[in-house]
Amino acid sequence: MISKAKTRVKKTRAKKGGTSRRNKQRKKTGKTKKSGLLRRLFRILMLLLGLGIGLGVPWVVWLDVQVRGEFDGRKWDLPSRVYARPLSLYEGKAISQNSLLAELKAAGYRRTSVTDTPGSFSVNGNRFDINRRAFVFDDGAKPAVRFQLQLGADSIQVLRGDPGVNDQGLVRLDPAEIASIYPLHDEDRTLIALQDVPELLVTGLQAVEDRQFKHHNGIVVRSIARALVANIRAGRTVQGGSTLTQQLVKNYFLSSNRTVVRKVNEAIMAVLLEWHYDKAEILEAYLNEIFMGQQGKHAIHGFGRASEFYFDRPLADLADEQIALLVGMVRGASLYNPRRNPQRALQRRNQVLDIFAGTGLMSSARVATAKSRPLGVVDKPRSGGSRYPAFVDMVRRQLKRDYRSSDLSSEGLRIFTTLAPAEQEYAQQAVAGGLDKLRQRGLPADLQAALVLADVASGEVRALVGDRVAGRNYFNRALDARRQIGSVIKPLVYLLALEHVDDYSLLTPVTDEPVSLRQPDGSVWSPANYDRKSHGEMPLLEALVHSYNQATVQVGLKVGVANLIRKIRQLGVNAKVPAVPATLLGAVELTPIEVAQMYQSLAAGGYSVPLRSVIAVQTPQGVLLTRYPLRLMPLEHREAVAVLNFAMTRVVARGTARELPGLLGEDVLIAGKTGTTNERRDSWFVGYTRERVAVTWVGRDDNKPAGVTGSNAAMRVWAELFRQLPVSNIDLRMPDGVNFVWVDVQKNALTDPSCTAAVQIPFIDGTEPSSTTACLDRLEKRNRRSLWRKWFEGDD
Amino acid sequence: MISPDISARVAQASLSTGSRSHLLRSLRCSWRNTRVGAVGLLIVVLLAGCSGSTRGPIESQEVTTRVRAPASQDSAGVQVYSLQNPAVKQLTAQAEGAERTGDIDKATGYLERALRIQPQDPQLLQHMAELKLQKSDYQQALNFAVRSYDTGPRVGEICSRNWRTISVAREHLRDTRGADEAEARAKQCMNTRPKGF
Repeated sequence: MISKAKTRVKKTRAKKGGTSRRNKQRKKTGKTKKSGLLRRLFRILMLLLGLGIGLGVPWVVWLDVQVRGEFDGRKWDLPSRVYARPLSLYEGKAISQNSLLAELKAAGYRRTSVTDTPGSFSVNGNRFDINRRAFVFDDGAKPAVRFQLQLGADSIQVLRGDPGVNDQGLVRLDPAEIASIYPLHDEDRTLIALQDVPELLVTGLQAVEDRQFKHHNGIVVRSIARALVANIRAGRTVQGGSTLTQQLVKNYFLSSNRTVVRKVNEAIMAVLLEWHYDKAEILEAYLNEIFMGQQGKHAIHGFGRASEFYFDRPLADLADEQIALLVGMVRGASLYNPRRNPQRALQRRNQVLDIFAGTGLMSSARVATAKSRPLGVVDKPRSGGSRYPAFVDMVRRQLKRDYRSSDLSSEGLRIFTTLAPAEQEYAQQAVAGGLDKLRQRGLPADLQAALVLADVASGEVRALVGDRVAGRNYFNRALDARRQIGSVIKPLVYLLALEHVDDYSLLTPVTDEPVSLRQPDGSVWSPANYDRKSHGEMPLLEALVHSYNQATVQVGLKVGVANLIRKIRQLGVNAKVPAVPATLLGAVELTPIEVAQMYQSLAAGGYSVPLRSVIAVQTPQGVLLTRYPLRLMPLEHREAVAVLNFAMTRVVARGTARELPGLLGEDVLIAGKTGTTNERRDSWFVGYTRERVAVTWVGRDDNKPAGVTGSNAAMRVWAELFRQLPVSNIDLRMPDGVNFVWVDVQKNALTDPSCTAAVQIPFIDGTEPSSTTACLDRLEKRNRRSLWRKWFEGDD
Repeated sequence: MISPDISARVAQASLSTGSRSHLLRSLRCSWRNTRVGAVGLLIVVLLAGCSGSTRGPIESQEVTTRVRAPASQDSAGVQVYSLQNPAVKQLTAQAEGAERTGDIDKATGYLERALRIQPQDPQLLQHMAELKLQKSDYQQALNFAVRSYDTGPRVGEICSRNWRTISVAREHLRDTRGADEAEARAKQCMNTRPKGF
């Protein structure tokens, strides 16, 4: 360093020509030479000045455009508000008292004794008095309205509005606001206004990071010089010397390299910012912008969001030591990450508290109390600033998929979604509580789960759970966990069979016997049944009800793997499906949402609708950008779907899911199918009532054997959820061309209701058994005789 | 379809500049009016300006003349009403109101809300099919009508409206044979033979 400095000095002297030796020369050469030298020097200076102006001014202008663009672009950036679906209340609406309370709570209603202000309600036994707020719904503004309702055992008995109210028979609650997001960015912020920031944070931040903030013009030359000296001494960067303004600029253009050019740019931009904006604006931007950590792929920006992320509470509610920790983390959000490096974070926090005391912001007694407290960081961060991060994640993805980014970049959009807060809460509880119960039953403690709950007819997603811990979403299993689906695929194999009306009905005999197939890779595949036995010949219905592998493969080979893949596509799933026989038994990896999509189509009787989480997007002025209209996509062969749905109710009544009614505590007509994969890695259950279709998955993230089966894990989580929901019998009215017929299943013959073993089973016209039972024959003979007697012998 | 004095309506329409659909509706209302004479030329000019771009009025006429009116004529004697809850009734009324003012999108919104309450209500599904017909969304009109038939009584006025909608939609989708078949099915809706025997 020193030798370099010396040579630099020599060169300067040479340039200026100021050495004594040269002085002598100058005297000799005379005045003309001296003036020529000066002129040359002047020219060089002018050239440098010209270059400086010519390059420097455009450079500064360019930096100005950049930094103002960032500042203006973000300063007023209002997040988009995401709303749950508004709850419709009307007489006859099935809802429990708990659900109604949960909905009111989610929508931010206060329980009071007098409900004279909008947003409040009171409860007296089973009577609710609710004062709804004014709200701009997706179809227009509605004024506040007060109404009373009376709950019966499981539904609304009476609903009365105030006199003169338009919505006499139907009131929508203003929906819960479930998140505020930036649809185009993978980041979450909770914006705060300067006046809402605690005093200690504003003053403390300046005390620790930039004491000159009120006075400087963006940079403090002295601290830069001091930092420079310190850094040169140490031979590396040890001191920043950055003002808050410089830090803000640095956050706008986050990049890890710390070159001199970048530093100079930052300094220039900091000065420019201070020139254009006042201190309050800059400080507010800083508080909302500064990087405070990382959650998966989402960056945590700003103190508002950081407060939720680390302490799960709003900034205004933070204690002294929590503010100190956040202020301390500004220096290095990952270095002082209180979750990963709690010891280091604690030291830093106490250091900051000392500064607070030293600068007189806090009394030493108050500091001592604050220091004695633990970090107070919550273990599990709430993600997305939302209590329902998995669902909000789906909303983001659908917005990006279905809307132009020019629409989404507008500020403060209002996004109307399909989420039902009460059902979402039940779903989260079912997953968390269900997995706890499974552990008590001896299953591994590190199981994970996912759940999708949708409305059958509309395909609207009512709840989505992607993690056993509510509010955590570093991996959204409901959308992203691609796992083998096992027997959950079997109904599709049988659906294909039932579409072949010439060959199959529910009573067509199929054979459950060992089968060996050569796979494309040359290996031989010989699937076994779950109980390691083969069950011989049986009606198709029984093979599905008991989920026999070998029988399914026999049927599947006849209907064809290629057709199965086509069927999966028709049901709205575009995932890669291998064209191998093992696919017949579910050796195909799908996500829970894809499985839900397939079964929505079946549950709706063959009327497929794409599962959706967004209904409409509105500008802040209430102008509708787009609505997702309800669109029906009828599948072909809906008769076969109806017959299959009947068969799937038998799975629940007496097949692999026969424990379900017991778990639900009521005997209802619902359809379902269990799924288990090799070595018990995955547990699936898909089930549907008349109104809801739900898919649950349980397994381990590392895909290791987990000891789970469809009925011992996923079905129990499903039951946990539906114990809280109204369960309606599925609709077994058959479409045109399908009729219930009395048959004897074992004999594959038509029979009479009065005969033994007579049951009613749906058949597509023309697929009924051709034979009759002896019992039916006897009855018919007798009937003919009695008819004969009636006609010819007369009644007495 | 009561058509008031046409000159008054045209004057009214020209006052409210920009309300082109309103003007068109008043024209549609007067389409078959015999008192056109005086302003006939004006109408011809206006129609020429609008032809092709806005098909709404003609579509809604189609719903009336080819679906609703003949179905209600057929139905004398056979009526099947599904039980509706008050909320659905209210939303249906609001949808009908919006439809009368020509705001099919708004009507669709009300019906979607009603369908959330009673997703399998054949009346709602058929009503939706008729709205889709008016929006020239023939595929969806067909789909909703088929769904209505599947969930409905398959007899009576609603059945007739189902098949008439299917017929009109198929015609627009260039399935002439299918349209004829549907027309024939509409006539069978009044056959009250119990099904499944």
